Amino acid sequence: MSDDTPVVIIVEDEPDVAETYRLWLESDYEVRMAHSGDEGLDELDESADVVLLDRMMPGLSGDEVLARIRERGLGCRVAMVTAVEPDFDILEMGFDAYLCKPIKSEQLVETVENLLERSDYDDLLQEHYSLVEKRATLEAAKSNAELADNDEYLATKERLKELQDDLSETLGGIESDEDFIATLRGLDDPEG
Amino acid sequence: MSYDLTGPLDFDALGSVRPGSNILISGPAMAGRSDLAFSMLAGGSREGEGAIVMTTGDPADDVLADYRNRVENLDESRVAVVDCRGEGGRDSEHTPDGAYVHHVSSPGDLTGIGIGITRGIETLTDSGATAGRFALDSLSTMLTYTDRKTAFQFCHVLSSRFDSAGYVGLFTIDTEAHDEQTVQVIKQAFDGMVEISSDGGSRQARVLGLDGQPTDWQEF
Repeated sequence: MSDDTPVVIIVEDEPDVAETYRLWLESDYEVRMAHSGDEGLDELDESADVVLLDRMMPGLSGDEVLARIRERGLGCRVAMVTAVEPDFDILEMGFDAYLCKPIKSEQLVETVENLLERSDYDDLLQEHYSLVEKRATLEAAKSNAELADNDEYLATKERLKELQDDLSETLGGIESDEDFIATLRGLDDPEG
Repeated sequence: MSYDLTGPLDFDALGSVRPGSNILISGPAMAGRSDLAFSMLAGGSREGEGAIVMTTGDPADDVLADYRNRVENLDESRVAVVDCRGEGGRDSEHTPDGAYVHHVSSPGDLTGIGIGITRGIETLTDSGATAGRFALDSLSTMLTYTDRKTAFQFCHVLSSRFDSAGYVGLFTIDTEAHDEQTVQVIKQAFDGMVEISSDGGSRQARVLGLDGQPTDWQEF
């Protein structure tokens, strides 16, 4: 697989379940497995894009692993996998998504795709902002006449327009509540 | 459909505003930015649209009391307030008259604000409001809690959300409270701008960006 293939880490103590997830994902992603929370933390590094994290495991629980991931400032997206429907307000939690067992193949694939799209959105948002700053700086420094044939300014405006379009197409323009809250949570805590 | 934001101001550019548009209301201190934003919000409530107010200064009760004075026979089940003054932490309630009030721990708690707005839109939709207007008063206070990058991205993400919800958003900013670069950056998150200037006793406004060329100044 190429270096651009997204990396998914499965942290799940039941080997059969973990193996099933791997089979569903391995054609599109580089999949790594960890059979406990501790192993999961060893496996995690900057290359990880998505983590599927079982909530109930012997040793380190899913919640504890999540806390360590956030502490280490890793940029990966974390989907919590639970055996029961969570009884807390999912919007308030630090997870990016949750899945209830038993998970169906298409559900898992959709969740991973959505989480990767959120990362794309965040990257676009960062690039967009740096150009917004640049445009404001150029506009402050130069007159309208100077701007009209300033190549750097015109290129900045052009690229901003492209990014606007990309942003409104990504995540369906933030149509879902989950995507909206998760994106704002990312702004609240840029390290997380 | 489109939104008619005229009333306090009589510009063609405000007569039929596309759903999903987000407008910055800018001007110096005491020039009447908040008053203008709430007047534009009230125009929608009179037609049965939903209204969401995000307040960083006045408590929800005061906002609601003022709003009742603006709209005769207000259907409060179509009003939501996200109160960000940080009293009472994150919780929510319905007032006896049916308005939805959501408290957020501070104007810098973007996740809490997002949850409040999400619940607000849900509540208004459940009450039968098929369109709605949102007002944030003010971005200037918010900018004392977050840096301009965060504030800009917040406005941008909110714009996208209102675009999919078909809402129209109004955001006030005190141009004298920030350096020029901050205002120039924040402006870029919006589809258009209503600029207010106040000169002695008279107030003037003009519209930029919604309909191409800037309009002439109009007294109001």
